Amino acid sequence: MLRRLASCVVLITVLWPGHAKAQRIGIAIEQRLAEASGLAVGDTLSVASPNGGPRRPAVVAAIIEPRADPATILRKEYRVRFHLADLAELLGQPDRIDRAAILLQPGVDPDSARALLDRTAFGYELHGTAALAASSSTTFLVVSRFHRAIAIISVLASAIFLLCLMLLKVDARRQDVAMLRFIGISRRTVFIALLLEAGVIAAVGGVLGIGIAALTSAAVNAFYQQTFATTLIFSLLTWRTIVEAALLGLVLGLGAGALAAWRLVRLPPLVLWGRAG
Amino acid sequence: MTIVLDARDLERRHALEGSEVTALRGVSLQVEEGEYVAIVGPSGSGKSTLLTLLGGLDLPSSGSVAILGASLSALPDRALTRLRLERIGFVFQRFHLLPVLTARENVELPMAEMGVAPDARRARAAELLAYVGLADRSGHRPTQLSGGEMQRVAIARALANRPAILLADEPTGELDAATGREILALFRRLHADGTTLVVVTHDERVTSEASRVVRMLDGRIVD
Repeated sequence: MLRRLASCVVLITVLWPGHAKAQRIGIAIEQRLAEASGLAVGDTLSVASPNGGPRRPAVVAAIIEPRADPATILRKEYRVRFHLADLAELLGQPDRIDRAAILLQPGVDPDSARALLDRTAFGYELHGTAALAASSSTTFLVVSRFHRAIAIISVLASAIFLLCLMLLKVDARRQDVAMLRFIGISRRTVFIALLLEAGVIAAVGGVLGIGIAALTSAAVNAFYQQTFATTLIFSLLTWRTIVEAALLGLVLGLGAGALAAWRLVRLPPLVLWGRAG
Repeated sequence: MTIVLDARDLERRHALEGSEVTALRGVSLQVEEGEYVAIVGPSGSGKSTLLTLLGGLDLPSSGSVAILGASLSALPDRALTRLRLERIGFVFQRFHLLPVLTARENVELPMAEMGVAPDARRARAAELLAYVGLADRSGHRPTQLSGGEMQRVAIARALANRPAILLADEPTGELDAATGREILALFRRLHADGTTLVVVTHDERVTSEASRVVRMLDGRIVD
């Protein structure tokens, strides 16, 4: 267990070079703290519980970068990791551990491990990370649903816009279509030509949209990652999203094109030409 | 002589703001193969309406039109469209070429609809563009052509499927005098080569070149 590190949100940290010869404990501090205080590996400081108790000399044994966690993105406090025994002694409560994270070896089934520990370690409640994430991510689920709602509204609004645009674009070519019908081009050919044109426009628009989304996503991530000094991903563009967006764009474009083309080709050529009512 | 176009007792009435307007009143016209007919008359005399009926673009309220014996009124829309493709060539006042296509592609368009093989239609388009004097402009788009050149491409397009008759609606109306003369010279040549032409026009020069002049007034043929 000595090798196991526990999280703690304690901590008073004060440089204390005079304790170099006392019994020192090894601690790990996070990168942010190292940068803010100018600490480096090998530096010595004193640590104490915020509830009082003895001070202990501690040497910085490692500087760590904690895994990015969206739940702590706005935190101000710094994180220091202790060996579990040192932490228990420092807090003066050797039998008390509020939380501990257990890292399993690759290939170990979390449920089997949990069942085993449940049987042998009395007084602990064990949770898998997935269950923990689900129970502690209500806010993110709400935000996620909110984003989904915005996305659906955006897609619907875009579809209506696309439809109007396609109707206008096709309608502006009434005389061209009339001329094609005059010279003997069938309704079917005109319809297919307009549909293909709509498909090409939708496909090109989709590619441009995905490109803009990728650039915007990269910019958003770069900005917030720098702002919060984190590796968290704020805007995620997956292949599934790309494929879904491209297919949706194509279907909507073809649908809008088909509707616009049908409105046009069902009219007699002279009505399109503007010479008959 | 073969009668290419036979129109009998054509009447065309339009509903206009609750009342009925008669655009054509009992017009009959026969055009023989190889004839060059000019239809002239003031605005509102019904000459353009007559042309739309002769070309199967509209149906008469009464009377009949037949192209090479095929009555247009009896044909469903699809067959009428096919007849326009195969037997009638149209030339418009404002050319109406497709701007995204080159001159050659515009000429190929009716042939593509006919199902002509790509090589054959390319060769035919080249031949027609050479005929109208635009062999070196085949790769140009309409925006890169002058008005006269566009009209010549439109004429080549109208001839693509070797139509029985060429109908032209004010073909020189958008052109300056010199360019108009070029187009009329082209029509003269088409006529000399045996093409049957019906031209609706205000242009008095056409009347001196046509083999027959039909004058219209108030929906009737007066001369």
